[in-house]
Amino acid sequence: MIETIQHEAVLDEAAVEEAARAVGLAVLAQSRWPQAGAAEPEPLPGFVHSPFSPLVAATAGRCLAQWYGPAPVPPLDGDRIALILVSVRGDVAIARAIAQSADGGRMSPLLFFQSVANAVLGHVASVWGIGGPLLCTSPAADPEEDALALAAGVLALGDADTALVVRAEPACAEGEQDWSYALLVRQGAGTPNAIGRGV
Amino acid sequence: MADHRTPAVAVTGMSAVSGFGRGTEALCDALFAGRTAFGPVTRFDVSRRRARSAATMDGPADLADELAWAADEACRSAGLQSPLREACPVLLAVHADPALARSADPARAAAGAADSAVVLARRCGLGPAIRAYTTGCIAGSTAVIDAVQMIRSGRSERVLVVAGYLVDADYFIAFDAGRALSPGGVVRSFSKARDGMLLGDAAAAVLLESAEAAERRGAPRHALLAGWGRTGDGYHVCQPKPDGDGVARAVEAALDRAGLPAERIGYVNAHGTGTKQSDAAEAIGLRRALGTYAERVPLSSTKSAHGHTLEGSALLELVITVLALQRGRLPVNAGYQDQDPDCALNLVLEPATTDAEYGLSVNSAFGGANTALVVQAGSRD
Repeated sequence: MIETIQHEAVLDEAAVEEAARAVGLAVLAQSRWPQAGAAEPEPLPGFVHSPFSPLVAATAGRCLAQWYGPAPVPPLDGDRIALILVSVRGDVAIARAIAQSADGGRMSPLLFFQSVANAVLGHVASVWGIGGPLLCTSPAADPEEDALALAAGVLALGDADTALVVRAEPACAEGEQDWSYALLVRQGAGTPNAIGRGV
Repeated sequence: MADHRTPAVAVTGMSAVSGFGRGTEALCDALFAGRTAFGPVTRFDVSRRRARSAATMDGPADLADELAWAADEACRSAGLQSPLREACPVLLAVHADPALARSADPARAAAGAADSAVVLARRCGLGPAIRAYTTGCIAGSTAVIDAVQMIRSGRSERVLVVAGYLVDADYFIAFDAGRALSPGGVVRSFSKARDGMLLGDAAAAVLLESAEAAERRGAPRHALLAGWGRTGDGYHVCQPKPDGDGVARAVEAALDRAGLPAERIGYVNAHGTGTKQSDAAEAIGLRRALGTYAERVPLSSTKSAHGHTLEGSALLELVITVLALQRGRLPVNAGYQDQDPDCALNLVLEPATTDAEYGLSVNSAFGGANTALVVQAGSRD
């Protein structure tokens, strides 16, 4: 399965809200990168060789801040928020750095924890005080549809009340750019105002 | 409490590949006798590494082949035939094929872990590949929980969950650089002298099915998926929260969903990597969730025998938990040396029998992710 990813197609906020509604989810907040006026993702301590994790953390943080204000989230909410990282490609730069290091015989200890996709979710969770489920997936079919279906399933099971879905894809070819978006969703078809803002 | 309004979910087929070879017989023979699969790594050069051992199968091994074998075997054991097989969705727990990172073709490099799921489903004549789970050591258990949701919601009557990892240079060297592997070449889970984990080969598959649909087609019922829990520590990128809070909440949620008091659990398959912090945090978490019963319930980490099989581990350990209940035998916590007061648990140190009806499988991963699965014994062998 080889997919040419066009990030423009997923940057339409109204289309995302419509897709969420179709699976019974209300979108509380959204963030995107790149976005006009948005600062470059800040480096994360210990996360080296790849812009992927800083991008995930930045998009996640901006989305959470829109709904909850500055970190952390309210303590009663924290354990009921799921973090879902969806990336077809995954952190290609880290996989390449690990492969090159293994082939060369020398490996930075910092690649150890970055070898697992959850690591950056652990960072987001610790900064924001989130204790709900952590999931990382690589969808086989329509990534947007699958990301929303997965979030809807986690919420329907009662494993969380709110889900932060972060989609991130790294550039892999000439002319491509890293991109990401994040959605904060809950069950229901209401508008954010009807649901009740977190801040 | 247990929710009886929604369809019960049964394990109707399962299979396993491990460092002991292909099949559940080889696995059971070793685990119930307390044997381990560790030996010197010959698959790639480890002469410059701190650790030099792993639990690998004999001879060359290809993950795609082992995943396909596991998927076929689980379907065969479940009696799943055409046309149901061709309609059965697939969830796969793997990380991206290391060959992708070495490809000069940008499109190939971008294929991701999902590519393995698509290839597996096509090769085995299964239904649609839904997604790959890259959540490390909880990838397989997370897929199982999502499969339960797919079945309970009516999206599908059955889902095949497959998981796997074969010891490779990339992850061995990365984990060795992170000083996570045992230089002593022995995994001593929950023992005071523990000095790290060792990696191992695994491929496992579990067919989950609506109990009603399974009964309708006369499928075997190896177990019922009675409860589950999944949580995050909210603590660190790769260290477990020392107070075991995330593990405790996952276990509590699984027991609550199963509608069971802790005392009904007759065997715990622990995460038990054999690392200092992780085992201690897990022991505290189990104590918080199970109370003083944590000191009495028979418990083992089978990673002490088959190694840490990364994305393959949670599903392999679920299969082992079901096999233990089915066969009435307890897997031994191998490599144990001396008591750690921080891990006051009732470890299975010698071959033993059990009449347990319920088993609990606990797993944790980087990022502080935790899962707990409660299974109820089905038909006994």
